[in-house]
Amino acid sequence: MVAAALLEGPRPPNVFTRADIHGDTVLDADVVVVGSGAGGATIAAELAEAGFEVIVLEEGSYYQTRDFTADTSAMVRQLYRDGGATMAIGNPPILYQEGRAVGGSTVINGGMSWRTPDKVLARWERELGLEGIARDLEPYFARVERRIHVAPMDDEAIGNDNRLLKRGADAMGWKVIGNLRNQAHCAGSNRCAFGCPTGAKQSALVSYIPRALHYGARLYADVRVDHITRHGKRATGVIGTVNGSGHRITVRARLVVSACGAIHTPALLVRSGFRSPSGQLGHNLSMHPNTKVVAIFDEDVTGWKGAHQAYQVREFQDQGLLFAAVNMPPSILAMSFPHRGAALGQLMQHYDRMVLAGMLCEDTATGRVRTINGRPQAFYQLADADAANLKRGVVLLSEMLFAAGARRILLPFHGLAELHSADEARRLLSRDIPASSCEVVTVHMMGTARMGTDRSAAVTDPFGLVHDTDRLLISDASLFPTPIGVNPMETIMALATRAAGHVIDNAARYLS
Amino acid sequence: MSYRHSRTARAVLRSLVPVICPPEAVPLGDAIVDHLELTLAVSPAVLQRGFAVGLVTYDLGALPRYRQRARALRGDDAERYYASWEHGATPLHVQLARGINQLMSLSCYEQPEMMARVGYRPGPWITEVTQRRLTVYRDDVTRQQAQILAPDPLRPGVRVKPERA
Repeated sequence: MVAAALLEGPRPPNVFTRADIHGDTVLDADVVVVGSGAGGATIAAELAEAGFEVIVLEEGSYYQTRDFTADTSAMVRQLYRDGGATMAIGNPPILYQEGRAVGGSTVINGGMSWRTPDKVLARWERELGLEGIARDLEPYFARVERRIHVAPMDDEAIGNDNRLLKRGADAMGWKVIGNLRNQAHCAGSNRCAFGCPTGAKQSALVSYIPRALHYGARLYADVRVDHITRHGKRATGVIGTVNGSGHRITVRARLVVSACGAIHTPALLVRSGFRSPSGQLGHNLSMHPNTKVVAIFDEDVTGWKGAHQAYQVREFQDQGLLFAAVNMPPSILAMSFPHRGAALGQLMQHYDRMVLAGMLCEDTATGRVRTINGRPQAFYQLADADAANLKRGVVLLSEMLFAAGARRILLPFHGLAELHSADEARRLLSRDIPASSCEVVTVHMMGTARMGTDRSAAVTDPFGLVHDTDRLLISDASLFPTPIGVNPMETIMALATRAAGHVIDNAARYLS
Repeated sequence: MSYRHSRTARAVLRSLVPVICPPEAVPLGDAIVDHLELTLAVSPAVLQRGFAVGLVTYDLGALPRYRQRARALRGDDAERYYASWEHGATPLHVQLARGINQLMSLSCYEQPEMMARVGYRPGPWITEVTQRRLTVYRDDVTRQQAQILAPDPLRPGVRVKPERA
């Protein structure tokens, strides 16, 4: 009973779900926030504590830690938009995942919590007119890290897959660091991507959302926002639909915050008739393309016992590559293999001796989100340079895993046989491998409403207020002017906190 | 979650279980196809439609060569016909075959029997580590939970409206 009490109590009274909404409803607030992930939950909590009346609308449902079970596919169905099967059109197509639940993608991410790299902030200052942003963000990063408990892993929670990754990096003499994650004594259940069942990951669901509710915010789950209402150039609220019942929810507000991510924010604005004089709304989509290899060892790994991504290989960060070990349940892994029948069964018998290692590539290409019949569709063509970097990353990762003792490595390229040695891995560099044969996925979408001082080049000002509109603020990764090369959650939260400070400082304007 | 396999789609998928899944999973065929339906139900509508059309095409495509629909093929014939799509003449053939393989492999290894076969038993592990965390780190966990709600105004001394009752 003590354990249960520590995890969480009953559903808070100011959380409303489809079962609580019995007809068309009109609500009033100072601020309506669309989306409850890293950007939405953070700004909602900060503004609620400052005394603003805040309403948060979330398309996904409200779950609590006790709802997160070991049933992987049920969790995917409940927590992921489109069951995790959303695709950016290109060659190769890129599968991307977004959270669709209270807490947004913070509920399903790995919890990596890194500040925006200095070189990225320097570029934003130098090239995009965001003068002083590095200095400005410093206290906000510190505040976010305190709130979501950013910390290195406890040694006992680190599993064998991560230890093997580190062993390989050490053998190669490469820089490898302990990951900083938003966790309070991560227990090592390795279920981050399916809702943390222990409550250790300090996602928005268990940090900023409870805080926002504590300070009076109201949260409506299961509500899809159809459009932002407007009076001329001024945003005046939103109209949404309750999933399932079809009841309409109208929120009249003095400030509208769009925090639905880099795919859905531009679509919401376009649906609502907002245009950016910059012509950049929906453009500039970055995706941090990811790919993976699977290494099979002689020794027992049992990678599902231990923390997710406990280490990160930083040796090639300057070249836009990060490596980490990312265990996945057998179903997700089996899905990624081209094998079938008896061959699939034989391969999966090695499941407990597999290390799944992935890489993040800081991309140089940009794509676009188009709004087609009101729905967003991402288009993204992997650049040749990025495809080459992914191939190089596969080679480096394979060499490292062989150095750790791997016997076989399965590649992410269709039609290529597995590797049995580091020499074979190095020979891949001279092979012509079409980009279209590479399996690419991502969870980091950024940049479709980029911020900047120049209204002819940026969609919003440096705080996220949309240029040439009134009282419409963006608070998500849409704002990033460039990819940042590390996991984006902390940057989103810091920008949201900074934006909240700007709104509080100008409260008279936003409450009038 | 409105997707339902058509009778044709279900029959085709059922016939593909021995082709895609390991032999030990074949007795779980109905459960695997049921699970696949659940997965498709939350996927994008365009994917659902494409999959349904693709399965009908796959079913009828066997007629010229085998004089029966794909759903009726067994053994080597079923294997050869699927392989002809897997290495097919057009990207659409390849894409459909790959899609069936991915979804069915996922559904196959979501079956408790198949998870147990590969040694994956997360339930007891989650219970064990949850209890350990709440025992060993109880004070820290309690402190973090209190911190989440403790007053810490972003702009100390600034409150834009009076405190609510």
